[in-house]
Amino acid sequence: MTLPLTPVWFVALPLLLAFASPLWVRYRLLMPLLVGTPALLLLLAFVLLPEVRTGPLLETIVIAPPLGIHLQLDSASWILVALISLAGLLATAFIWLSDAEPYLRDRRAFVFLLLLIAGCNGMVLTGDLFNLYVFLEIAGVSAYALSALRRDASALEAGLKYLIIGSVAAVFFLFSVVLIYLQTGQLNMAAVAARFGGIPAPMQLLIGLLMLVGLGIKAELFPFNFWVPDVYQGSHPVLAGLFSGLLVKAFLFVLFHLVFLLLADPQVAGLWLMGLGATTMLIAEVVALRQEDMRRMLAYSSLGQIGLITLALGFGMQATTAGGLFHMVNHTLVKLLLFLTAAVLLRSFVSARLADLAGAGRARPLAAALFVLGALAVMGLPPLSGFASKLWILKGFAEAGVFWPVALILLAALIEAGYYFRWIKVLYDPNGDLKAAAPVERMAYVPMGVAAGLIILLGVAPFLVDDLFIEGAQTLLDRGAALSAVLGAGS
Amino acid sequence: MLAFLDDPKILHGIYVLGTLTLFFIGLYGLLAKRHLLKVLISIAVMELSVYLLFVGLATSPGETAPILSDGLTEFAGMADPVPQALTLTAIVIGLAVLALGVSLAVQYHRLTGKADIARMTELKEL
Repeated sequence: MTLPLTPVWFVALPLLLAFASPLWVRYRLLMPLLVGTPALLLLLAFVLLPEVRTGPLLETIVIAPPLGIHLQLDSASWILVALISLAGLLATAFIWLSDAEPYLRDRRAFVFLLLLIAGCNGMVLTGDLFNLYVFLEIAGVSAYALSALRRDASALEAGLKYLIIGSVAAVFFLFSVVLIYLQTGQLNMAAVAARFGGIPAPMQLLIGLLMLVGLGIKAELFPFNFWVPDVYQGSHPVLAGLFSGLLVKAFLFVLFHLVFLLLADPQVAGLWLMGLGATTMLIAEVVALRQEDMRRMLAYSSLGQIGLITLALGFGMQATTAGGLFHMVNHTLVKLLLFLTAAVLLRSFVSARLADLAGAGRARPLAAALFVLGALAVMGLPPLSGFASKLWILKGFAEAGVFWPVALILLAALIEAGYYFRWIKVLYDPNGDLKAAAPVERMAYVPMGVAAGLIILLGVAPFLVDDLFIEGAQTLLDRGAALSAVLGAGS
Repeated sequence: MLAFLDDPKILHGIYVLGTLTLFFIGLYGLLAKRHLLKVLISIAVMELSVYLLFVGLATSPGETAPILSDGLTEFAGMADPVPQALTLTAIVIGLAVLALGVSLAVQYHRLTGKADIARMTELKEL
């Protein structure tokens, strides 16, 4: 019997392995499988790539569309699936190789990490609104549990805050799905999209607002993102890197996928989202200036970059959308690298506060160097990947003749330079009196080195991946093709 | 006397008013109450109102359960089963999240003696 290689494995494999976890404990396979699963998924993504580039892979389980469970792997969702697998691989490799805290290496963490990957993959791939809700809750519940995993006061507080705000978001999202079903009698996204225009305008607005609140909370857009720094500070830095690198990206993708698919004319909604993105970016960057805890500073910086991506995707032109998708990938790599350095520094000096890290660059030269590399990539200095994607976005705006986002993005980059150099200065402070550093496993630098290598590679040779992102943007924006692919031509 | 309830419009109107009231009671509790358990219960109330709205508006008076039994041989005049199946799934998910939330709240209370959201200040701006 041969198992066909289809998109369902991106969800099924981590789910199956997670629920069989007692077996892996018994055979001492927990850590190899934790790293092996995302590695396998990444491999599968690359095996499927040639097929995806010729046309979207549709998979329907049970009945014919619009009934049945429906998964869709196209050029846009492929980018996200590959990114989720890659980010999962780097983070789990770090957990394994750095000999991380025991609570990150036991069975519970194994189950939640794999469920997080399964949930994110499912959200990105699914073509059905109710399945989207289920995957959203799977990813959400595993994220709540992961942030509370350390079980001390700050971790439990982070977990509780995340759970409360996350459940509220899920209720709002469910409400909008219920209204859509009552109005159209459909849950399949393409079938809903075909009838969405027929819904009365006030109801469309209500559905849109409920969905915006639900997904806006999850995707950390202003004004729904007040909880983010608390959660990132209370969770282990590796987990914060995963939330920022993979969970938020999946939600952002879902938000824009729905906007571009459901609305025949996404101009107005896009403009609102651009406004939200710009506000998110500016407020987060300014607040980041005065953060004294590295994890909080990185959380605000992450919010700023998410605002930038929202700004770029909301514009809805091919160049900015492709640039936005590229920036998503870059930001995941960069934030993961920065949060992993934060994990190393936190492990070494027991604190992530600015005052306690003075002169840390001498005790941990490699970690500090990687932090500098990551910081430069966030700011967008050549030849790092942040430069390539920001340039692409700016060029897209300039070619369309819209200049206010260009000014805002450059201003945000200036503020970023301000607070990252403040941290770099402290890390290399010659007068810092440092406590003795706790040892860190050398192998922990391997996943960080891989992330750094990719950042440099994508910065030096962005033409390697140009086509992928342009195809992704075309798929994301081409509503007609998406509809006829699912519903058949002529509908 | 209650025959006017057989009019789907009136019945659905009552459902909408009732569930929206419930939704806003939940929202009020979420925003105004400070005890962790009360906040979690408020979220559960909001969820429940959405389930009620879904099941209520998806059926009309006179429709039967979509089950072939008792001499019924064809699907005519039956309620749409999809909303009920979805609501069941959503109830299970909601219960799981609520259980996780309550267990976290209990652990937090055991550890710190606090159950007040406004006093959760371990993580804050320095």
